[in-house]
Amino acid sequence: MTAAVELLDVRKSYGGYAAVDGISFAIPPAHIFGLLGPNGAGKTSTIRMMIGITSPDSGSVRLFGERLRRGALRRVGYLPEERGLYRRMTVGANLVFLGQLAGLSVATSKERIDAWTRRLGIADWVDRRVEELSKGMQQKIQFIAALLHDPDLLVMDEPFAGLDPVNTMQLKDVLMELRTAGKSLLFSTHRMDQVEKLCDSICLINRGKAVLQGSLSEVKASNGRRFVQIDYEGDGACLAGSPLVDSLNDYGNHAELRLKPGADSQELLRTAMRALRVIRFQVMDPSLEQIFIERIARRDD
Amino acid sequence: MTEFSLSKVWIIAKREYLERVRTRSFVISTFITPFLMGMFLILPTLITTSTARNLVHDSQRPARVVIASDNVPLAELVTGELARQHGTRYEASVVSPLSQAQRDKLDKRLTDSAIEGYVWIDANAIATRRVEFVTRRMGDFVLQRRLGDAMSYAFASLRMVQNGRSAAEVAAILQPVELTPIRAKNSATQFNELRGAMVVFILLFVMLFSLLSYGVMVMRSVMEEKGSRITEVLMCAASAQELMAGKIIGTGAVGLTQIGLWLAMAGFGASRSLYLRTAMTALDVGPPLFVYFVIFYTLGFLLYSAIFAGVGAIFNSIDEAQQWNFVVILPLIAASAMILPVATASNSPIAVVVSMIPFCSPILMFERLAVQDPPAWQLALSLFLLIATICAAMFVSGRIYRTGILMYGKRPTFRELSRWLMHA
Repeated sequence: MTAAVELLDVRKSYGGYAAVDGISFAIPPAHIFGLLGPNGAGKTSTIRMMIGITSPDSGSVRLFGERLRRGALRRVGYLPEERGLYRRMTVGANLVFLGQLAGLSVATSKERIDAWTRRLGIADWVDRRVEELSKGMQQKIQFIAALLHDPDLLVMDEPFAGLDPVNTMQLKDVLMELRTAGKSLLFSTHRMDQVEKLCDSICLINRGKAVLQGSLSEVKASNGRRFVQIDYEGDGACLAGSPLVDSLNDYGNHAELRLKPGADSQELLRTAMRALRVIRFQVMDPSLEQIFIERIARRDD
Repeated sequence: MTEFSLSKVWIIAKREYLERVRTRSFVISTFITPFLMGMFLILPTLITTSTARNLVHDSQRPARVVIASDNVPLAELVTGELARQHGTRYEASVVSPLSQAQRDKLDKRLTDSAIEGYVWIDANAIATRRVEFVTRRMGDFVLQRRLGDAMSYAFASLRMVQNGRSAAEVAAILQPVELTPIRAKNSATQFNELRGAMVVFILLFVMLFSLLSYGVMVMRSVMEEKGSRITEVLMCAASAQELMAGKIIGTGAVGLTQIGLWLAMAGFGASRSLYLRTAMTALDVGPPLFVYFVIFYTLGFLLYSAIFAGVGAIFNSIDEAQQWNFVVILPLIAASAMILPVATASNSPIAVVVSMIPFCSPILMFERLAVQDPPAWQLALSLFLLIATICAAMFVSGRIYRTGILMYGKRPTFRELSRWLMHA
C-alpha cells in the first residue's frame, strides 16, 4: 500500500540555519507515527513541509504516492498545537468556515459538526465564542476542525496538550478508531509516555537530523536490553568491579545498573551468580524517555 | 502549488467581511461619522446667520434697533427700508431729537437688554457719512451689513428727494440689482461655490479617511493571524495568495459597504434637505462623480491594502510597525496637502503631475475629475500607472506575506526581507 506521506532526504534551511537536515520517513495507512524531539529540533519545520505550507530546499515530499500538490491536501487534516481558531468567532462559525475551506458544503459541515460535538460531549458549546472556552475545550474543537473533512492523513502537533485524563482517553479512543479505519496519523510531541502507548513507529529528531527511527519495538530493541535490575544477597562489590557495567546504583540488596554497549546480560548473570545469591535478575526495556534523554544528551555533549 | 481557487478566496473574504461588519466599531463609525460631518457642515451656518443668533440668544424674537436722529425723515427711511427688505426680522423704531439725556436713556435700555442696539445719526454723521452703531451684538455681521445697506439707501434717497425727485422715482432708481451666476460651458467655475466645494471636500475626506482606516484594518487583521496558529491551519487548506486576496477583498468590501451606507444617507438627506440638494446640484455632484469615487476608492484601497498587508506580515505588533506605517501613509498626507492647490488650479502643471503619482492619484485625480474634466489621456495615464503600481505592490507584498505570516518573534532584517522576495 502506498504511504500516506513519504519524506525523502528532505532539507530546509532558514537563512543559513538548517532547520531540517536530511529527514526521511514514510507513514503507511493504518499507522500511528510519532515525531519526537526537543523544542527547536525541527518538528514544526518538518510538519510544515508535509502540509504544503513551505516547500523543501531539496529532497521530496510525496503525499499518497504523488508529488505534493495542493489538491492532495484535501485529504490531509492538521491540528496545530494551540490557538488555531478565531477567538472572537463562535465554535460553530469557526468549524463551518474551516469545513468550507476544506471543500465541504455548509450543510455537510453542520451535519458533521453536530455528530462530532455530540461524540466529544461539547454540543452545548457550539454557539459560544472560542475565547470563552477552556484550553482543553479549544483543543477538542481544533481536533474536530482537523477531522471534519475526513482526512486520510491527520497531522497533529501536541494533540494532548491541555487535556485532562478523561479527555485524553476520549481522544485516544478516537485516534485508535481512526487507525482501525485505515487512516495514517502523525503526531509530534515531546511527551514520551503517550508515544509509548500509542505509536507504531517513531522518528526522533534533534537539530534537524533523525537521531533514531523505526518501529517502536525495533527502536527499543536496538537501544536496549541494557538495563538490569538484580535482587541479591551477599557482597555487591563484584558488580561495581565488573568491566560489563557502565553505571550502577547499588542499594545493598537491590541494584539497578546499565550495561556497557555490546555487553552481554547473560555474562553479567554468570558473574553475579559466582559471587552472590541471585534472587531476581531482570533485563528491562529502556523507556523511550530514557532513550530520548540519552540520545539527545549524548549529541549535545 | 500555484492553483488559485476563487471559491477559497470567496470563503475567506466572506468570513473577513462578516466578522468586521458585525463589530461594534463598524456600526458606530458608520452612523456617528455622518452625524459629525453634518454638524461640521451646519454649525458654521448656525453661527453666522442672525436667525441662528436669535435662536441661540433670544429665541425667535426680532432684533430691536433704535434709529436716533434729528432728521426724522432720514430715520424713517432707514426703518422703512429695513422692514421692506427683511420683514419682521428687525423691529426698528425712531427716536428724536438728539440730546445727551436721550443718549443716556438709550444706553440704559441697552444695559437692560430692552434693545439690541442703536444708531446715532447726528449732523456730523450725516456730513461725514460715518455713523456709530452702539450694540450688544458686536459679532452679528449680518445685522451690521443690513443696517449699513439700509442706511446707504436712506442717505441716497433723502438726497434725491431733496433734489426734487419723487419717492416712487427714488425707489425705482435704488432698486437693488440681483446677480445670477450661470456656469460657463466646459468650466468649473462653480467649484468656488462654497457649498459645492464642501461636497467635494467631504468626498475627499471620506476617501482619505477610508483608505487609511481600512488599509490599517488589513494590517491589523494580518497581524492578528500572524500571532496565532490559525495561519498554519489556513495555509494547509489555502495558499498564501488566496489568503491575502480574500483578506483584502473582504476588508475592502467592508469599506465599500460603509461608503455605500454613507452615500445612501446623503441621498436620503438630500431628499429631505433643500440645503444638501442645492449643494449637490451646484457642483453637478451626480452619479458620474460617485462612480469615479467608487473606482478611485477601490483602486486606492487595493494599493494601500497590498502595502499594509506586507507591513502586517513583517511586524508582530502595531507598535513595532508604527514608524513604517508613517512611511506608508506619507503619500496620503502629501496628497491631502495638495487638495487645496489642486482645487484652485486643477490644470496647472503641478496638479497634473501629482495626479499621476499612483500613491496620490486616488485622491488628487478624483479631485480633478470633480473640479473640472481633465483631458482623457491624463485620466487614462493616471489609471494605468495606478493599476501597474497595484500589480507590483501585490506581487511584492504577496511574497513577503507568504513567508512573513509564518514567522514568529524576531522581526526580519532587510537582508532577510530581500531573501523572502527573491525566494521563488
